Amino acid sequence: MNVTLDQLVGHGIILTSVEDVLQWGRKSAIWPMIFGLACCAIEMMGMVAPRFDVARFGAEVFRGTPRQSDLIIIAGRLSVKMAPVLRRLYEQMPEPKWVLAMGACASCGGVFNNYAIVQGADKVVPVDIYVPGCPPSPDAVIFGLMELQKKIQAQRPLSQPVA
Amino acid sequence: MTTAATDISLAELIKARCPGAVTGAGEFRGETTLTTTPENLHRLLSTLKTDLGFNYLADIAGADYPGRSKRFEVNYQVSSIPANRSVRVKVSVGEDEPLPTATDVWKTANWHEREIFDLFGVRFSGHPDLRRILCPDFWTGHPLRKDFPLDGEEVAFTHNQDSIKPQEAIWKKGLGKAEYALEQGTADVGEETTMVINMGPQHPSTHGVLRLVLQLDGETVLRTIPHIGYLHTGIEKTAENLTWQQAVVVTDRMDYLSPPTNNLAYALAVEKLMGIEIPERAQDIRVLIAELTRLASHLIALGTHAMELGAMSVFFYCWRDRELILDIMDFLSGVRMMTSFINIGGVRADLPDGFHKKVQDFLDVFPASVDEYDGLLTNNRIWEKRTLGVSVITPEEALDYALSGPNIRGSGIKWDLRKDRPYLTYPKYSFDVPVGKTGDVYDRYLVRLEEMRQSREICVQALKQISPRGEFRTADRKISPPPKEELERNMEALIHHFLLYTRGFQPPEGEVYSAIESARGELGIYLVSDGSNKPYRMHVRAPSFVSLQILPALCEGGLVADVIAAIGSLDPVMGEVDR
Ligand code: SF4
Repeated sequence: MNVTLDQLVGHGIILTSVEDVLQWGRKSAIWPMIFGLACCAIEMMGMVAPRFDVARFGAEVFRGTPRQSDLIIIAGRLSVKMAPVLRRLYEQMPEPKWVLAMGACASCGGVFNNYAIVQGADKVVPVDIYVPGCPPSPDAVIFGLMELQKKIQAQRPLSQPVA
Repeated sequence: MTTAATDISLAELIKARCPGAVTGAGEFRGETTLTTTPENLHRLLSTLKTDLGFNYLADIAGADYPGRSKRFEVNYQVSSIPANRSVRVKVSVGEDEPLPTATDVWKTANWHEREIFDLFGVRFSGHPDLRRILCPDFWTGHPLRKDFPLDGEEVAFTHNQDSIKPQEAIWKKGLGKAEYALEQGTADVGEETTMVINMGPQHPSTHGVLRLVLQLDGETVLRTIPHIGYLHTGIEKTAENLTWQQAVVVTDRMDYLSPPTNNLAYALAVEKLMGIEIPERAQDIRVLIAELTRLASHLIALGTHAMELGAMSVFFYCWRDRELILDIMDFLSGVRMMTSFINIGGVRADLPDGFHKKVQDFLDVFPASVDEYDGLLTNNRIWEKRTLGVSVITPEEALDYALSGPNIRGSGIKWDLRKDRPYLTYPKYSFDVPVGKTGDVYDRYLVRLEEMRQSREICVQALKQISPRGEFRTADRKISPPPKEELERNMEALIHHFLLYTRGFQPPEGEVYSAIESARGELGIYLVSDGSNKPYRMHVRAPSFVSLQILPALCEGGLVADVIAAIGSLDPVMGEVDR
């Protein structure tokens, strides 16, 4: 059979790369971990609630265990006591995994530059997306999530595997 | 509140009952302070409880005065609930000197003493379990001592990058410790038939970063050991490094389910310290905001509690209504949660146009929502099975552990600071204080549900009182900045403005304890002023911190599943517990 590319497309067939499909699948079903630290966690819950409904973006299946999650939203201030726990939780997550720092505290310590608070969660785990705000409104977090989706789509795990 | 005259006679009475124990008595802003010595402390506290009916230890606050020969001061805020009066017992203690524990007088003293041990390094002899409570085990030093720096980490620039002390060195000490952290405080655990499980700090149903170590025999809980401090934020220390007005902002972040009530508690304490009155309209606005906040907070308490026990739809409905309140807050202040709208001297700005309608719209739809929750849960057989008769708190226990808010009222004790120690314009409004009968989870649920109805009533009355335009803060230019128009015409206004924004104001020397009824109970603020522009000491009596202490008593002997019901019914907010 002699079919041209144009004909194929005309029949509803799309050509893409395995990598693109893989990443499309990953970005469209992000499973965040239920991990609320402080005030920001309340707005994170607000994001799940009906008004903002994060299910529209395929990220509503919050999992109770790090072993089933691929996104950790650090929602709140990270204390010195909690930092080792966060590291451990992160290490328990299977690859691929992403981290979103929600709010001023998780991004840089926020208004608490003091003995108790780690000045940014990125000192403890690698962060992919920072969402500013104190607390960021749910729509801001959703925006962060969409930025993360773009980032995931652009990643090339097969041709350029990350070390 | 009792008048000054009876308080003085109270001091005399105590002196007579407990001869030789009181070394001094003072009076400031209507509060009585009795001074004693470490040797006599225990005798005095026991006499207060057993002879004089002071059955409620609201708070213990430490303070550090490095210049004195005995550098630490420990303040016991003791109340009598039937007689509705309170005194403060103050004792000074040196660095290596132990204080006798008060845990055998009031059970609630336990965590307060651990907190003081942790943050100041004061030892309490006879305390059953004197360990760090807020700071991690790998911590060194006592952060609330005045010679302990605020710390944190400088922002790195080229000129200072080599001199920065990295914080990493501290928390990295905790890496890999999580495994044997399980054994802390569980020394006698380990019989072969039992099992120890760790719940939290990352757990969907612990209301934040609470960690419980449970020892189980099958489904039965034998022991519960709470570990808190995973959200310790150093709020008190931070506030002591800000000016009085700036510190309002950090109070928002304590009880993050009801930020404006924290502002209110702090603002009222500073106003009491300075002896200022604010305009009635501003007080009414504060009442309205406080009650709306109570609604928002109770909605989350109810929604998450129901969700954890399996009623997911209640969570969604509650959130629907909470969004309406957040919209009002957003409209009012530009922020959904951390409004800092209530500040010292009144509220930050006048009400925006259309505010009344927005609130009224909400108040109109809200009763139907409460009825909806009522219909979904109150006679729901699953809900009843999970809550009726579960985690009963007797009135005696409630007092011993100094519970407050819906938790003490659930046990049938009618104690509500809005009625019993009125502040703002609450006496103007008519509302009921619902109480429970048996003190189980179900009763605490019912109390919160009814409180929502009552709070709405207050909102309706307050909204009628508040005119759309008017005074919203005190005219005292030492505290509240002059309006823009005045600045352009008046030299004095300009000076006030400059001083307020560069230096802030300086309250007189003194100390006060002032408490309000927040959504979770008695939210008290203890302030010490040394006459400077920053609080010398700011201590928070966090209702969740106090009420969480009763958790082991509630869980032990019950089933694992009921642990979740018990936590939800106490409604703790970890931000406030750990501060
Ligand atoms: S960023 Fe603000 S809201 Fe978020 S945890 Fe920090 S203080 Fe709370």
